[in-house]
Amino acid sequence: MQTFLRAALALGLALPSLTSAQSLKIGVINSVTGPEAPIGENLTNGIKLAEEDLAKRGTKVELVWEDDTGKPQIAMSAMEKLATRDGVAGVVGPYTSASANAVAKLAQRYQVPLLVPAAAKEEITRQGYEWVYRLNAPANIYAQVLLDAVTELGKPKTIAFVYENTDFGTSTADAGKKYAEKKGIKMVADEPYSKGSPDYRSTLMKVKSLNPDLVFMVSYVVDAILLMRQAREVGLKPQAFLGGGAGFTTTQFASDKDISNLVLTSTQWADDVKWPGASEFAQRYKAKFGKEPTYHAACAYAAMMIMADTAAKQSGDRKKIRTALASGSWKGIMGDVKFENYDGYTNQNKHPMLVLQIQKGNYVAVYPPEFATKKAIYPFAGW
Amino acid sequence: MPRILAKARGFTVLAPLPILLLVAALVAFPRLVASPYALHMMILLFLSVAMGESWNVIGGYCGQYSVGHAAYFGVGSYATLMLLQYKHLAPWWGVWIAIAAALVVSLVIGSICFRLRGPYFVLASIAVAEIIRLIVLNWKQFTNGAEGILLVDIPPLKLGQTVITDWLAKTPFYYLGLALALTTLLVNYLVQHSKLGYCLQAIREDQDAAHSLGINPAFYKNVALAISAIFTALSGVFYGLYIGFIDPASVLAVDLSVQMVLICIIGGIGTNFGPVVGALVLVPLSEALRSNLFSKLLFTAGLVKETSRLGAFLKENLAHAHVLIYGILVVVVILFMPDGVLGFTKKLLARGARPLSPKPSPLVGGLDGPA
Amino acid sequence: MRVLLQSAASGILIGGVYALVGIGLTIIYGVMRVINFAHGELLMIGMYFTWIIFTVFGVDPFLSILITIPGMFLFGALLQKVLINRVLNALPQNQILLTIGLGLVLSNLVMLIYTSDYKIITTGYSSSTLSLAGLRLSTPLVISLVITSAITTVLYLFLLKTDTGQAIRATAQDRDAAQLMGINVKRMSVLAFGIGTALAGTAGALVSPTYYIFPQVGGAFTLKAFVIVVLGGMGSVVGATLGGIIIGITESLAAVYISSGMKEVFVYVLFLLVLLFKPSGLLGRSRM
Repeated sequence: MQTFLRAALALGLALPSLTSAQSLKIGVINSVTGPEAPIGENLTNGIKLAEEDLAKRGTKVELVWEDDTGKPQIAMSAMEKLATRDGVAGVVGPYTSASANAVAKLAQRYQVPLLVPAAAKEEITRQGYEWVYRLNAPANIYAQVLLDAVTELGKPKTIAFVYENTDFGTSTADAGKKYAEKKGIKMVADEPYSKGSPDYRSTLMKVKSLNPDLVFMVSYVVDAILLMRQAREVGLKPQAFLGGGAGFTTTQFASDKDISNLVLTSTQWADDVKWPGASEFAQRYKAKFGKEPTYHAACAYAAMMIMADTAAKQSGDRKKIRTALASGSWKGIMGDVKFENYDGYTNQNKHPMLVLQIQKGNYVAVYPPEFATKKAIYPFAGW
Repeated sequence: MPRILAKARGFTVLAPLPILLLVAALVAFPRLVASPYALHMMILLFLSVAMGESWNVIGGYCGQYSVGHAAYFGVGSYATLMLLQYKHLAPWWGVWIAIAAALVVSLVIGSICFRLRGPYFVLASIAVAEIIRLIVLNWKQFTNGAEGILLVDIPPLKLGQTVITDWLAKTPFYYLGLALALTTLLVNYLVQHSKLGYCLQAIREDQDAAHSLGINPAFYKNVALAISAIFTALSGVFYGLYIGFIDPASVLAVDLSVQMVLICIIGGIGTNFGPVVGALVLVPLSEALRSNLFSKLLFTAGLVKETSRLGAFLKENLAHAHVLIYGILVVVVILFMPDGVLGFTKKLLARGARPLSPKPSPLVGGLDGPA
Repeated sequence: MRVLLQSAASGILIGGVYALVGIGLTIIYGVMRVINFAHGELLMIGMYFTWIIFTVFGVDPFLSILITIPGMFLFGALLQKVLINRVLNALPQNQILLTIGLGLVLSNLVMLIYTSDYKIITTGYSSSTLSLAGLRLSTPLVISLVITSAITTVLYLFLLKTDTGQAIRATAQDRDAAQLMGINVKRMSVLAFGIGTALAGTAGALVSPTYYIFPQVGGAFTLKAFVIVVLGGMGSVVGATLGGIIIGITESLAAVYISSGMKEVFVYVLFLLVLLFKPSGLLGRSRM
């Protein structure tokens, strides 16, 4: 009887969602489950490290975690809940481009500051939403930095695109296609694929027969592994394999040395870059979670630090937080962060991206020169 | 206790007064409860009811288990949203195009699939829905492919010069959703109590016998499918406008088709209120799991310690278990409650009296195979 | 020309795996007349089983088939006794829904335990190839084709030559007559589901070195398995084998000559055509 009453009471209290104290709440929307979960885990862990650091500093924040399962509609639901029921001061996330784009609209409508840590789709900060901020560089930079790097290393003339036909894959590939055209590199193959297929051999064979100088791939982790394995099988040998972030930046991919060697990939962050605290962050992450962090962890960490600090200084007032984000500048493991309006972007941080190359199972930064720690090996030596 | 359930010609008829009170309460709800979250939950409920009721016409009354209904949902939402986003055609005109499109698709699908019986029909319906999904996914110039359509704005609804709503709050969607749900309930009721319903149920019980009695199966099946398709498409339009984002994975996937079937099966197939019960079970359950309500309840009630291993496991994982619970519910319902929760409850209440709704008779062994 | 041959060869190799899945499904249908919508999930369980054996005991995925086959057989028999048996006499629609529910339970249970993290098995030969007549063939797929052929042959001989096998075929042909002849049809159903599950699980094991493992991997295979079974003829083992190869080649060629994203469309269109114009499939039904 007693437990039943207590349960009923708890139910009654839970529904109208009381906030027990005036604690500062920050919402987090992330892909904790679903196909994007392995990378989502990096964001979660990055934010957990941020939580630790904030506690050390005495900044009191309460995080409200929401899982969007990788689906934009669920992210939107989560945003609604955070904005209206939980009364958060601001939101960090989501991870995927599709979710971030969908949530941006709601952030604008409910007037809640949103800081997107790692989503690539350009449109997110091209809609004039003054409540939406993005820390990472958008999709066009993914392609730009890669193609800039290879055109400095050699003279490729043709390029083939193989990418997953999702939001992320398509928008990054499109950005790549536009920039390749600008650079005078001819596209000889455009192969979107449905992810989750066991067999890419036919597509790769088709690409091989067209003999491209570059193969630009945008894939998630396991597709990246499968694609490269099957590329090796069919003997596809371009001057370079270009990986558009995501799957190509994980250690799981890199550790498969047979297939990952000499792949070039663009990334938002690397642990050997000279940004304050970057390598310490990587070491801390590895010590605590047992694996190397991807750039997503760094982005999420930085985003949470910025959001929490700003929210604390502005005592949780959403309007003041927005103004503070728009005018502030920070320096941390992601380098200099300042949200600016330029070229049709609103509140976009002009984050420089790096090109990493996997050499013998390790990621080394090879471009741009100011961040490079090693020289790139080009062209691809073959299998 | 007023006799709410009256028996008339083997079908259940609900007395009007309690129904009117309930509808009045639902209409008044947004004025009494301001929380957008509560409105959101009700809207999801209305949507689920509409989807379940629409499927019920072809699946419940006619016995044709289409597991490809997402095709109509997706066609409806894509047609309207594409016209709105790209051609700036207001959705109250676009919805007619959506209905027409759904009708055409249903006639095409019907002509292909209705030649097949039982499980072959099921498989064919899935295959067709998948074909449509893949076409929409790949036809990027037309539908924006995998990136989906993120709605920018719905034009304000005006009557003459006065703006009725600018669609920015939840309330207009609440009323729209309520209207949709009530309409599908009404359509179900009308179908059930009309000659059409009689013919459909005859076809469901024994298609050949019905045919021999002069009921043209092809015609009636197509009519049922058309009705079902139209309202499923309307649900899709509503979804697209409300959520503001659609992509092939959210409006055309097999998961959605299965969900529509589940709403109906769990509630009670072939009944007017079955899908409502199904929606009432699934929507709050799903949200409660997602927002960790159960875990919080267990912790606050002191039954499970939050810090214990079980507590940690529950906290981490119960939120993602809602599809697992759906699956378990389906298995339980099929094995032990073939009339769904509604039928089971009715049997409990009747306590030994004759069951109120006719149960489909089980076939012994053998499948017909394709016609 | 080279691309065509290479693509066809690739299709045959993957088709072998599809065939194994299809054979399992067709046996289940043939004997029990149950449309098993959870078949893809059984394959998924086989994959996880293989992955566990690989990561915990370090046994090579191909060798571990010796453990997978009996393990999955027992699992299938258990499922049959506990769940499927209860709906043998129910409406086919209810059977379908039950197996759909079962599929959901299996995939989500696995998701709960293992999360949706994609797992990938990396062996020394994961990306190596064999050269045959100028074509490059994936080594693990060739090995799996060899094993599939062996299993199919053994199965066929079992069904044709042994008493139990003939009893199974009799049950498939006419359940009541078989019962009258003294065959324990209940036991045959258990056997059939067990064999079907074992085959699905084995297909999962065979494909695991070349694919990735995640809880929802079954979905794609289930529908294709049905296409194969209908194409080959419900209940025909040889038909399912042929069907698998045909579907594999169709997919592969469609990926090269049309587009990778649309390759499934061709499979499903082929499916609808078969359903409409030759519903008994290539080799008719109930003939094992």
